[in-house]
Amino acid sequence: MVQLTPNKPYLTMRLKFKKVGSLQYISHLDLVRTMHKIIVRAGLPLWYTEGFNPKPKMVFAAPLSIGTESVCEFMDIRLVDDISPSEVKERLNRNMTDEMQVLDAYYTDEKLTALKWLDYSIEIKTEGVTYELAAECEKLLRSGRVVVKKKGKPHDEPRTADIAPLIKEAKAHISDGLLCIGCTLSADASSFLNPEYVISALREGCGILSAPDITKEYYSIMRLVARRADMSDFGEH
Amino acid sequence: MLNKKEMSSVLKSVEKPGRYIGGEYNRVVKDKKSVRCRFAFCFPDTYEIGMSNLGVRILYDVLNREGGVWCERVYAPWEDMKAKMEEYSIPLSAVESGDPLSDFDMIAFSLQYELCYTTALMMLRLGGFPIWARERGEDAPIIIGGGPCVYNSEPVAEFFDLMNIGEGEEVLPEICRLYMEMKEKGTYTKSAFLRAASHIEGVYIPSLYDVSYNDDGTIKEYKPLYPDVPKKIKKRIIEDLDKAPYPDKLIMPYVETVHDRIVLEVYRGCIRGCRFCQAGMVYRPIREKSPETLCKNAKCLYENTGYDEISLISLSISDYSQLRELTDGLLSWTDDAHVSLSLPSLRIDSFSEELMQKVSSVRTGGLTFAPEAGTQRLRDVINKNVTEEDLMRAVGIAFRGGKSSVKLYFMNGLPTETLEDIEGIAKLASDVVHKYYEMPKSERPRGVSVTISVACFVPKPFTPFQWERQDSLESLEQKQEHLRSHITDRKIRYTYHDARVSFIEAVFARGDRRLAPAIALAVEEGAMFDAWDEYFDFERWLDVFRRTGVDPDFYTTRGFATDEVLPWDIIDCGVTKEFLLRERARAYEGKTTPSCAEHCNGCGANKLGGKNKWCS
Repeated sequence: MVQLTPNKPYLTMRLKFKKVGSLQYISHLDLVRTMHKIIVRAGLPLWYTEGFNPKPKMVFAAPLSIGTESVCEFMDIRLVDDISPSEVKERLNRNMTDEMQVLDAYYTDEKLTALKWLDYSIEIKTEGVTYELAAECEKLLRSGRVVVKKKGKPHDEPRTADIAPLIKEAKAHISDGLLCIGCTLSADASSFLNPEYVISALREGCGILSAPDITKEYYSIMRLVARRADMSDFGEH
Repeated sequence: MLNKKEMSSVLKSVEKPGRYIGGEYNRVVKDKKSVRCRFAFCFPDTYEIGMSNLGVRILYDVLNREGGVWCERVYAPWEDMKAKMEEYSIPLSAVESGDPLSDFDMIAFSLQYELCYTTALMMLRLGGFPIWARERGEDAPIIIGGGPCVYNSEPVAEFFDLMNIGEGEEVLPEICRLYMEMKEKGTYTKSAFLRAASHIEGVYIPSLYDVSYNDDGTIKEYKPLYPDVPKKIKKRIIEDLDKAPYPDKLIMPYVETVHDRIVLEVYRGCIRGCRFCQAGMVYRPIREKSPETLCKNAKCLYENTGYDEISLISLSISDYSQLRELTDGLLSWTDDAHVSLSLPSLRIDSFSEELMQKVSSVRTGGLTFAPEAGTQRLRDVINKNVTEEDLMRAVGIAFRGGKSSVKLYFMNGLPTETLEDIEGIAKLASDVVHKYYEMPKSERPRGVSVTISVACFVPKPFTPFQWERQDSLESLEQKQEHLRSHITDRKIRYTYHDARVSFIEAVFARGDRRLAPAIALAVEEGAMFDAWDEYFDFERWLDVFRRTGVDPDFYTTRGFATDEVLPWDIIDCGVTKEFLLRERARAYEGKTTPSCAEHCNGCGANKLGGKNKWCS
């Protein structure tokens, strides 16, 4: 067990949690504010930052963008008392709704930056889902060159980028009439790939999701597993 | 209706989708099988604004405590979402269940501001209902209006089935009980229900009155259609706030709202009697909560929300007779819990060093005071009861306490106002700047800034100024320019309200039922969010008035005669016409009236009951 010292007067607890369903529409900033209130409500022995405006310290790995669900979010909180992880998990879950729940809690020294890759499952309902389309999508994503338009400020010149180096793995298949893409994307802070770019690449390259009635076609994105550089599960401890 | 997956494409295509999803912690979800009265509480503005409203939070809690009733929330969609709803025929639905408005038994609107009328009616349309009450069928839900605007709801009276006059904590559950009872017994028809509801104190059923007019356009009389329908509707109040229910938890929004904090309602009513102020008159008599109750509420809310700020709400917090006991009680635990206190609505004359110490932990932001008028003469006319010395003392404390920015609220177009009063605003502001420079340089906080924000006077029902004429648009705009030309100091920032907005506000504030066709036409042509600058369309309003034969000046620049029947005479808000006339006469004499704490002025609100230490 790690001891509290004057230099490090807190213990770091890692939380693995899910954020699914309608909570995919909550931004990262709103998640941070929400989580702040949850950990206060849970009455945990929180360590507060020093200074004029003390706040409990929270650090998040790989922020989730609006429109993506996840069952593998990670965040660290700092505690001033050695409290059991199962109790922390239980107290937090009582203060959350079903769509956000802590899946695991543990003390750790491993840095959040050790999280390097993320597995995603993308399900797409689009016109004309065929095996040929699935094969075409898979071929594009594995082709070694996947060019997308980068989002920028409205007045900037449109820029493009090749996201192929950030795609570790990509597979496509059909299930229940949906086009399903499984892929592993870079989650490194310096080269994070938002899965929405995979959608853009497929939209531009394979012509999917282009119906004028936006309710006829839709897609969902789910983060499934977080991985270290050696591809081991980041949540295993 | 679209399913969840189809809806996801819509949500991904609009701004801030988080405001449409619900699912918040502490929301109430009931089993539909056990529910006999589904109640939709609509707020005619965005989620971020509606979620901040204390009245809605209180009534949501009260209604959901009631067996058989499930109260849900509904907010106005922003323009991008509204367009998608129209394009894909998505009906307006409640946040908790996602069910469309047509599934509900009652649909209530909180009418906070005259310019929200179009938004409320647009929400009804998005729910699939005709806006006119008479065009809605027997099976349509009961449409209810409440909130401060219903002290004169006549311009929108014909769109609603029922108006809740006064505080709703008791009335709304009574209405639901009557509804469930009649449904159970099989005696329910809409007309039988409304007739029976008219016997509940604090309920106004507009369709049960016939209004006739004189040749000069003024009202001749309000005539109840049946002998059992009350001639006047008496405002309902909660007599003892300590015994009234107060939410022990708050719905925790995921997206950031305007007032994202714990709000404690410290008291209702006001002991002051500012003669332009409607809230100060219609919320009488004053009723305070005890510090013990408030401290208990605060602790409980903190534990159930995790908020780090508690805001003490009332019309003028420093008039609370036990403020020290309350703040001491709260501060005994809030510092350790990293919770800060905020005290909005501070009066200039009660601002003290001690109070400042207690709030200074809150924010580094500035302080706001409301002298309202630029000269002592005019401040006496409006019965503001603060002096220039009070202001100078208050800003002195603020500057010494490290605050460098001060905001001052004023009004122009007040009765008896002259250009000298306007110039007085500029002078007062520069005196505040001088006060800063009088301090030794070493003790000054850095970068003084004084902001003056000037609103336009709107004569409001149930105030001593209810009969006054509103200053004309041209005159208000000239006065705004006149003031600008008298501000020479670069440390003074000057902002003012759009006089055209105040003009429309006055039309609706003092309007009658003949305005309804104009409002209906505006809604038909897409009016919504009039309270938002970017959506307010003055020309459209003038146009619909013209097309429906309304002369807006009849309600604005015309002085109302003291013997004329006023549209709001149908309501008894406690304060008597005799009192308002006495206060009006004193205004013209330049005489102030002491606060309720000093002397009872016989306003008449005491006849409503209510526990307090001042009313006899």
